Amino acid sequence: MKLIYRTYTLTAIWLLPVMIIGSIFCFYMIEYIAYEETDEFLTYEMERLVNYHKEFKHLPEYHKVADILPDVKYDHFYFKDTLLLEPGDNELVPYRELRFTIDHKGRDFSIVLRHLLLGRDDVAQGTLLIIIGLMLLVALFLVIMVNQITGQIWKPFYHTLDNLKKFKIGEALPVFQKTEIEEFGTLNATLQTLLKKITSDYHHNKEFNENASHELQTHLAIIRANTEKLLNRSTGEVEAMGELKKIYAASTRLSQVQKSLLLLSKITNKEYSNNQDVKLQEPLNLALDFFSEAINIREIELKKHLEPCMVNMDAGLAEILVNNLLKNAVKHNLQKGYIWVKLTASSLIIENSGLPFQGDPNSLLERFAKGENGNIGIGLAIVKQICELYNFSISYEVSEQDSHKITILFATT
Amino acid sequence: MKILIVEDNLKLLESITEVLDAEGFRCETSANFRIADEKVFLYDYDILIVDINLPDGSGLDLIKEIKIHHPNTGIIVISARNSLDNKLEGLELGADDYITKPFDMAELVARVKALLRRRNFSGNNIVTFGDISLNTNTREVMAGNQQIDLTKSEFAILLFFFSNPKRVLTRESIAEHIWGDNMDLADSFDFIYSHIKNLRKKITAAGVEDPLKAVYGIGYKLDAN
Repeated sequence: MKLIYRTYTLTAIWLLPVMIIGSIFCFYMIEYIAYEETDEFLTYEMERLVNYHKEFKHLPEYHKVADILPDVKYDHFYFKDTLLLEPGDNELVPYRELRFTIDHKGRDFSIVLRHLLLGRDDVAQGTLLIIIGLMLLVALFLVIMVNQITGQIWKPFYHTLDNLKKFKIGEALPVFQKTEIEEFGTLNATLQTLLKKITSDYHHNKEFNENASHELQTHLAIIRANTEKLLNRSTGEVEAMGELKKIYAASTRLSQVQKSLLLLSKITNKEYSNNQDVKLQEPLNLALDFFSEAINIREIELKKHLEPCMVNMDAGLAEILVNNLLKNAVKHNLQKGYIWVKLTASSLIIENSGLPFQGDPNSLLERFAKGENGNIGIGLAIVKQICELYNFSISYEVSEQDSHKITILFATT
Repeated sequence: MKILIVEDNLKLLESITEVLDAEGFRCETSANFRIADEKVFLYDYDILIVDINLPDGSGLDLIKEIKIHHPNTGIIVISARNSLDNKLEGLELGADDYITKPFDMAELVARVKALLRRRNFSGNNIVTFGDISLNTNTREVMAGNQQIDLTKSEFAILLFFFSNPKRVLTRESIAEHIWGDNMDLADSFDFIYSHIKNLRKKITAAGVEDPLKAVYGIGYKLDAN
């Protein structure tokens, strides 16, 4: 939910008690004022009649008062609520009465003054109308106000958010807008520090990889060059040749392992982020073509079913992905075995004949998994790493018929 | 043929120079950017072999420099990066070829010769050893006076041998030459052996003596009897 809608909802909820309390308050206030006014009016009327009586010694005329009760005496004037039947619409209507006594020619006459009161239902109706009108006005102004204030106050926040979304590791740090709001200032400063740290870690990691790789590979190149030289100079001593071969093979192996580890490290460091829509059938066809001779030599039966498949990823990594999978299927296959490749819009399945395997086949996807002949494999670890990078799910199954099956499900976007 | 080799590791520089000297190229060397830059400015080379990582500068700048002064010079980049980065970098720079450390000298020699053949338009596309000749343009192979059909890999292997006559080519070296980063394919099956066996079969079937000699436990060598 967007920040502004959330603010609207919460404000609306807070308006409810305001509305209820406001209605009650308004109701009693109107009622109180109505009484006040009526009582004041009746009091004036009483004073007027008393004065009139003093001056002219006449009882007030009948039609000016509600009632005159002879020989009834009240010690003090008082107000009273009463209901009278209105003959017009046959309804009880509330009235306010003021009763007081005057002494007329030695007799007590109690005079009753009466005035129509506002009915409670009328007051309630009025209250409702006032509150509704008021609330509509308040709501209208609140929406405008929240809109304006949110827009102004949160502007630096949205700017920061925008910048963060666009930021890619390894690129220049984003510049956040200056803000007078302390919290946003702290947020920006904290983010800046974090991003700086992340970027510098990224660069250190990258630099370390490059340096380590350059130094290692250069010295491996020297070992290989000199071993090669000795191999060519050798007079054919079988023993010496054997030792040289071991040095040569080990240095070759070491350099392969180092290259693979470097690639893994770079994938983890997210150095390949040139994502684009890759038609996976293209690199797959290239790889099939590349391995076709090897497949023919081993007399491997190849069955393929390729549907168009579009995946958003780095093109180089896509190539490595299908290449390593196919290489694995060829390398760990049997003479006259088979490879089935099935590519659909959402999955890639490669199944091949192979040696029996006990244990959890998914362990073959780990780094330096020991295969047959103590072979150490990084190829599938690289595949797994690429899958993790793009949230593809990958599984390795070995059936009872010793068929090895790797299934990759591409993340649906 | 004049070659300038720029590599900051002196031992590797020495090895490269030695091998290319033995192949009959005139080699000049530089272990840093400054001297290399001077030489590129003053002289004309047929081929520049350059390491990207130099202590006092980048090999990339050297390539830009030579592209201005001598655009005809062939360029081979030596890099310690992996092939994925190389592909991008190599293309951007306009380098003709790139080779990843560590490499076999046989591989470097083959690359240099291949580059010279490509650069040298008027030149000879026929590589010959004994009774066998390869046409690197048409990819035709003549054994004696009979044409033989080779697969892509067989042709690549034969050309690799022809670029390095009388030199021992290890199985690893051959595997790396035809499969590059996928050379570990050779770990489980003897693909190289199968390829060599097929090559020998096709050559002897044409009535020519097999020039591929096995070097026990190590690899093969192209040698006349």
